[in-house]
Amino acid sequence: MIWKYLRTMNHRRIGIMYILFGIIYFFRAGLDALFIRAQLAIPNNDFWVFQGEKYNEVFTTHGTLMIFFVAMPLLLGLMNIAVPLQIGARDLAFPFLNALGFWLFFAGSLFFNIAFFINMTPEVGWTGYTPLSRAEYTPGAGTEFYVFGLQISGLGTIFTALNLIVTIMRHRAPGMKYTRMPLFAWATLITSFLILIAFTVLAIALYLLMFDRLFGTGFFSGEEGDPIFWQHLFWIFGHPEVYILALPAFGIFSDIIATFSRKRIFGYPVMVVSITLIGFLGFMVWSHHMFTVGLGPMANTFFAITTMAIAVPTGIKVFNWLFTMRGGVIHFTTPMLFALGFIPSFVMGGVTGVMLSVSAADFQFHDTHFVVAHFHYVIIASTILGVFAGLYYWYPKITGYILDEKLGKWHFWTFLIGFHLTFFPMHITGLEGMPRRVYTYTQADGIFLLNAASTVGAFLMGISMLFAVWNVYITHKKGEKVGNDPWNGRTLEWTEASPAPEHTFEPMPIVDEIDAFWFAKIENRSLATTLAVRIKPLEQETIQPFFIAMALLVICTGLTFTWYWLTIAGAVLLFSLLIVRSFTDERESFYGKEDPYE
Amino acid sequence: MNSQEAALFQDKKIGFFIYLGVEAIMFAVLFATYFIFTPAAKGPYPTEVFEARTVLLSSFFLLSSSGTLLIAEKGIEKKNQTKVIVGLGATLLCAFAFLGLEIHEFYTFVQEGYGITTSIFLASFYVLVGLHAAHVAFGIGWMIVLFLHYYRPKVSYSLYMEKQIIFSYYWHFVDVVWVFIILLVYLPYL
Repeated sequence: MIWKYLRTMNHRRIGIMYILFGIIYFFRAGLDALFIRAQLAIPNNDFWVFQGEKYNEVFTTHGTLMIFFVAMPLLLGLMNIAVPLQIGARDLAFPFLNALGFWLFFAGSLFFNIAFFINMTPEVGWTGYTPLSRAEYTPGAGTEFYVFGLQISGLGTIFTALNLIVTIMRHRAPGMKYTRMPLFAWATLITSFLILIAFTVLAIALYLLMFDRLFGTGFFSGEEGDPIFWQHLFWIFGHPEVYILALPAFGIFSDIIATFSRKRIFGYPVMVVSITLIGFLGFMVWSHHMFTVGLGPMANTFFAITTMAIAVPTGIKVFNWLFTMRGGVIHFTTPMLFALGFIPSFVMGGVTGVMLSVSAADFQFHDTHFVVAHFHYVIIASTILGVFAGLYYWYPKITGYILDEKLGKWHFWTFLIGFHLTFFPMHITGLEGMPRRVYTYTQADGIFLLNAASTVGAFLMGISMLFAVWNVYITHKKGEKVGNDPWNGRTLEWTEASPAPEHTFEPMPIVDEIDAFWFAKIENRSLATTLAVRIKPLEQETIQPFFIAMALLVICTGLTFTWYWLTIAGAVLLFSLLIVRSFTDERESFYGKEDPYE
Repeated sequence: MNSQEAALFQDKKIGFFIYLGVEAIMFAVLFATYFIFTPAAKGPYPTEVFEARTVLLSSFFLLSSSGTLLIAEKGIEKKNQTKVIVGLGATLLCAFAFLGLEIHEFYTFVQEGYGITTSIFLASFYVLVGLHAAHVAFGIGWMIVLFLHYYRPKVSYSLYMEKQIIFSYYWHFVDVVWVFIILLVYLPYL
């Protein structure tokens, strides 16, 4: 089976691998979080080894893993599985590229994770700020693991985003106009455009940092270059990245809330416009991460105003979700509970976000636990709750089983309570002036009880994940298969078998309105279908994507340790593989034949 | 090209255009880097380093290679074998000439003591123009592979046509980037 997955190009299998590794890294990064909280539980603590440099390593690993190797693959995995099924595509437009995108993510994550086992963990924070990340301050190979790990996986993310855009543009079912697409598909489309811009800027920032570290240039040095230049590049990536994480979650919640309220989403066009607006404004706010840098009052004011402006489309979305539920027949299933937990939690994160956008006040908040509380409130409430909601919701489509509702509710409530217990006190410790990224505090600071509460909450979240694991185990042990449509859903994925078969949409449904499947069910008819559809993407089983990604891993290993012979060997391998690919294209056997429809 | 092939080709075309958009952003960031750091406070002034003759010569080769590629494109359209081979061959030769001149230029700079670590201006010059040169080198490899495809008996005409058209988009893009390099990197300091 492993051999089959290594060579697969099928979107559902690739999605499963994304999710599997996302969850593995989620546990690793979660363990890091528990180490951090254990160290901060009491004043002047000496928990295990997590002081000083080790503490720097553990928060760097926690942040980098959670953003790049947990949130991204979990979302890309759900997009991979659900989006083609939702829009009536038979696979992603470029199955080979999709497999390559996954294996690049895998190679990057492997590279980053290896660092820990050879005691070279990066310790520059997930933001990798210069000049600290330059060779004179972090001379070991640790930072290279950060640079190349992100570079390889970022390339995969760019390819997958490109793939998703072409899929959504070109492979929708007949009648599935843009104005009839499910909102998760819309969110995926907008997110993919954000990825293309943001991750490309990150790629160049890492490229320049690589030159600084390995070849002695001075782009980010204090003497001739400019350390602030890194901050600009990083946040031109980093802020849109926040929306890259949040928008897909908004899409998931929109679909789930409509499904379990048994109502069409309220204000569909406005929902689409606000996603687009958030995506657009997301590129105009990066300097709000840099208010204390000294860019001057004009710049700070500009970025403060654009930041506050984002609250408007986001607020519109929140009201639309509420109005979708108003007058609906609400079913409190596990996915719906996660969606309901999301709304107030995320609003709290939004409110502190507006507080932080007041640039004058930010001088007080900057780099304190108030900021830590804020970004965990927005990211956990949107991305993590969204991913959980999506996993419970689409689990039947992924595996054919439905997760146990009772354990799911235990998971939800313990996670939600643990989450608020962990991060709510951080607002107060932050306002008291507790700095982030510092491994201890004293009794005299008077923040012991609040920190202890945070630690208890963190462990509660850890325990809640055990419910999730147990739930998966129980569900598979019971092994009760479900039908096509266990949730009484609204969109096309529920017309297909659970788990989704290899060859989907034969025959292809014709869509004539939003939530066409739902309205067909109400009127007791089945969706019209057709056999005259465009050609589906070509697939074959091949190990090449895996080896291409591994070749890049070899190149980066060579660069990291300046073993240039290895880099050259890896490059030779890479280009040979690309040539082999060019001669074994799955199009070869397909092209030049007669058209069966002509 | 039948309708199914045309649909797949359209997918690929759109995908490749999006990819070129990604490339454009990459180069845009590097151009911005160059603007920010040039001229540098320390180290040589760009006018001391650049030499008009090399730029003129290499530009001649690269820009005419876009023209010769048009011949190959016409050839593929009209199924004219001579035009395809002459066009692609001339493009390949021009690309080699350009790459040779680039290497010569970089080599001369380094000999004169203008290496990548000399100053921040030179560093941002090398990462930008060097990345462009790498694109030309990649294009050379791509063209050689195209030739191999052309001479394979098995490959269908429509598939070859698709491959060559996609390549021509790439090559014209690389050329456009060079135009920007002339205008923004060299011209202000010649």
